[in-house]
Amino acid sequence: MLLSNRLMMDLEDDTSVLTTLKSFNSFISHTEAPQRLSEGSAGSGNLHSQYKRSMELLEAGERVHSNNRYLQLDGEKKQMELSHKRARYELEKVASDSARDLEHEVDRNQDLLGRLKKFQERETEAAKNLSEQVEANRALRKNMEGLNRKLEERDTRLNTANQTISYLKDEIRELTQRIQNQDSTTSSQTLENQELQEQLDLQRRKYQEVSQLCQSLQAAQSSCSEHIVKIKELERRLALQEQDIAIVKTVKSAVAKVPDLEKDLKRLREDNAFLRESRENCSLLKEEVEGLRRKLERMEKKKEELVNIELEKERLAEKLKAWENLGQSTGLNIRKPEDLSREVIHIQQREIALKEQNYTLSSRVRSAERSQNEHRAELCLQRSKTLEEQKKRETQDSLVRRLQKRVLLLTKERDGMRAILESYDSELAPTEYTPQLNRRLREAEDILQKTQSHNVEMEAQLTKAQEETGTLKLQLQTVELELESLKKHQASAADSNTSGTKEELSILRQKIEDLESERQRLEEQNNILEMRLERHMLQGDYDPIKTRVLHFKMNPTTIAKQQRQQDIDALREEVTRLSELVRSQKEGGAMVQGDSSINASLSPSLPPSKEVVDLRKQMEILELRNQRLKEVFQSKIQEFRTVCYVLTGYQIDITTENQYRLTSVYVEHMDDSLLFKKGSNGSMQLMETVFSKTLGEMMALHLHHQKSIPAFLSAVTLDLFSRQTII
Amino acid sequence: MTSTLNGITLKGSAELVANFFSFGINSILYQRGIYPPETFSRITHYDMNLQLTTDPKLKNYLTKVVSQLKEWLFECTVQKFVLVITCLETNEVLERWQFDIDCDKSAKESSAPREKSIKIIQDEIRSVMRQITATVTFLPLLETPCAFDLLVYTDKDLLVPDKWEASGPQIIDQSEEVRLRSFATSIHKVNSMVAYKRTDSV
Repeated sequence: MLLSNRLMMDLEDDTSVLTTLKSFNSFISHTEAPQRLSEGSAGSGNLHSQYKRSMELLEAGERVHSNNRYLQLDGEKKQMELSHKRARYELEKVASDSARDLEHEVDRNQDLLGRLKKFQERETEAAKNLSEQVEANRALRKNMEGLNRKLEERDTRLNTANQTISYLKDEIRELTQRIQNQDSTTSSQTLENQELQEQLDLQRRKYQEVSQLCQSLQAAQSSCSEHIVKIKELERRLALQEQDIAIVKTVKSAVAKVPDLEKDLKRLREDNAFLRESRENCSLLKEEVEGLRRKLERMEKKKEELVNIELEKERLAEKLKAWENLGQSTGLNIRKPEDLSREVIHIQQREIALKEQNYTLSSRVRSAERSQNEHRAELCLQRSKTLEEQKKRETQDSLVRRLQKRVLLLTKERDGMRAILESYDSELAPTEYTPQLNRRLREAEDILQKTQSHNVEMEAQLTKAQEETGTLKLQLQTVELELESLKKHQASAADSNTSGTKEELSILRQKIEDLESERQRLEEQNNILEMRLERHMLQGDYDPIKTRVLHFKMNPTTIAKQQRQQDIDALREEVTRLSELVRSQKEGGAMVQGDSSINASLSPSLPPSKEVVDLRKQMEILELRNQRLKEVFQSKIQEFRTVCYVLTGYQIDITTENQYRLTSVYVEHMDDSLLFKKGSNGSMQLMETVFSKTLGEMMALHLHHQKSIPAFLSAVTLDLFSRQTII
Repeated sequence: MTSTLNGITLKGSAELVANFFSFGINSILYQRGIYPPETFSRITHYDMNLQLTTDPKLKNYLTKVVSQLKEWLFECTVQKFVLVITCLETNEVLERWQFDIDCDKSAKESSAPREKSIKIIQDEIRSVMRQITATVTFLPLLETPCAFDLLVYTDKDLLVPDKWEASGPQIIDQSEEVRLRSFATSIHKVNSMVAYKRTDSV
């Protein structure tokens, strides 16, 4: 294929070359044409040239033609080559293909050979297998024969089985027939069953009816038992009635005693009246006694008073005597109390005069004291001032000391600082320290200046204080001088009156002390009274002179009080009205039982309440009912007891609680009776009586051996019946 | 209240005190159970809940008394205002609520209003009302039916108005007194106290 392509490409090149050649040729021909034309005009000279040119052209053309031929031959050659090549190629292809095919065939041959071998092997195997199979076949045939035999046997068996099956089927048919028969029988039986069930239902209904009858019977029996119980109750009531009869008898006997009692009553009443009179007398006597006792007491008191009065009289007499003697004792002309009064008046006048003198003296003393007090006060003031000045001075001294100390400290500081500064200056350290040093220097200088100014101030204060103390000292001295002068004056003034006024002074001092104590007491009293006053003010007290208490006339308290009073009055009226009502009701109620007409007449003004009337009616009805029931029970009880007596032959009485007395019809004596007691467990025990002692044999037989009370009782009846003389 | 914000005039002070008495009396009547609590309605005043009676007769009486009291407060002639509680059965005075009124007589109508914050006055009034409510804890129970009366202690030379009459001070026999807080407008000062009958002596 590549070869062919290459051939095609060469052809294409050739064609292109050819085409270009053609184009070139054409161009040349064109150019030559106009050139030729142009040249033609040149002249006849040009014919040679033209001939040359035409020969050239012819040569050229030949050339071209030869070229063309050459080219064509080239082309053909090439084509031949190409065809050669193609043929070669195709031959090669074919060769290759054939080679390939050969190979394939060889391979196939080989394969086939192999297959052949395999098939041969297989053949041998198959042959072996075949032989084996044949042998197997033979064995199988033998087996088959055996099996066939078995099959035949089975067939025979099957036949037999079939026969049996047929027999069985026959049997089945027979059985089915029997089943049908039985079904028919069962159906008939179910019918019978149904009939029986119906009968059963009937029977059940009958049974229910019977049970109901039974229940009714039981109810009747219970009612019977209830009736029996009622009968017993009636019997009990009968017994109670008999007890009541007994009581009535006793009451009658008691009633018989009534006239005696009446006599006793009369006597007792007389005694009572007598005793009452005596009691009154007693009370009168007691009053008299009390009156006498009081009189006695008064008399005794009077006696005592008398005694006291007599003592007083004696004392007064003595006093009188003393008074009478006074005149003699004092030496004055006293015989009558008028003289005494005169003397007293004289003395009083003298006293008054003395008092006036006293008062003037006391006023003088007071003024003196006042001046003294003033001086004393001044003295105190001055003393206090001096003390203050002393204190100030001391403080100033202390301040000065402190300041001096501070000055010392400051100078020391300053020296220290100066030393430091000098040290710093001496050392002449690097310039770094200088600004700090300068600052410190300035600070130190400032401090110094401050301390100096402070110092100056303190010194100024000190000087001032010193001046003040100096002035105060001068004042003190002047005051002392004045005091001394006053003292001298006082002493001189006092010396004149020393004899008389010393006593007065002491008296006055005592008075002052007394007055001071009284003042304190009065102050305390004042405080207490003020507190009391305040308390009273708290409680609501007021000074009537300054204040007045007002309130509203129609205030709630008065209104409430009036209301309350009205309520109370209304309530009282209601109470009286209701009490009258109640009283009338009570009286009306008491009369109801006796006579209803009176009740009606008594209460025309008060309407009887409906409730009361209804209740009374109910009460009457209930009482009537009660009475009727009692009568009925009595009659019933009586009936029952008589019936019991008649039928059993015994009259049963209840003598006491749980004790029953039986008296037989046929008994010979009326007192012969049997006593039975009901024990705690409900059993009856026979008690011993006169009659029971005679029945020892029967007791032993029936009670101890047979343990039956009815048997015993019937035995007794029979025995008595046999013995009875009257029929 | 007063027209100016902070200043209290005499008239305004009288009104404040009269209002306090009005609410105080209502509160005492409610607390002590003189009138049944269902006849009181709850209102808000002085920033707290107070009880005010709805009984028309009682209201009428209280308004008359309080209006007269306001006049007297304005004239500065009232010294004390007392609420007396008497037992109806025994006619004994059981409790006495006494309010002493100090009036600064220098403050007349024409003088300038005094500086005192209304809020402070209200706080003081509120504390007094709270104390009145708290007295329930120690005052003895009023078990019997009681009635109350309002007394006014005035200057002697005062003209007695119509419908008013003189009465006794109605002092309690053997009483215990307890001082309560006081409040003051800048013109009036009200001291409160309660006196009650000692129960062990009953």
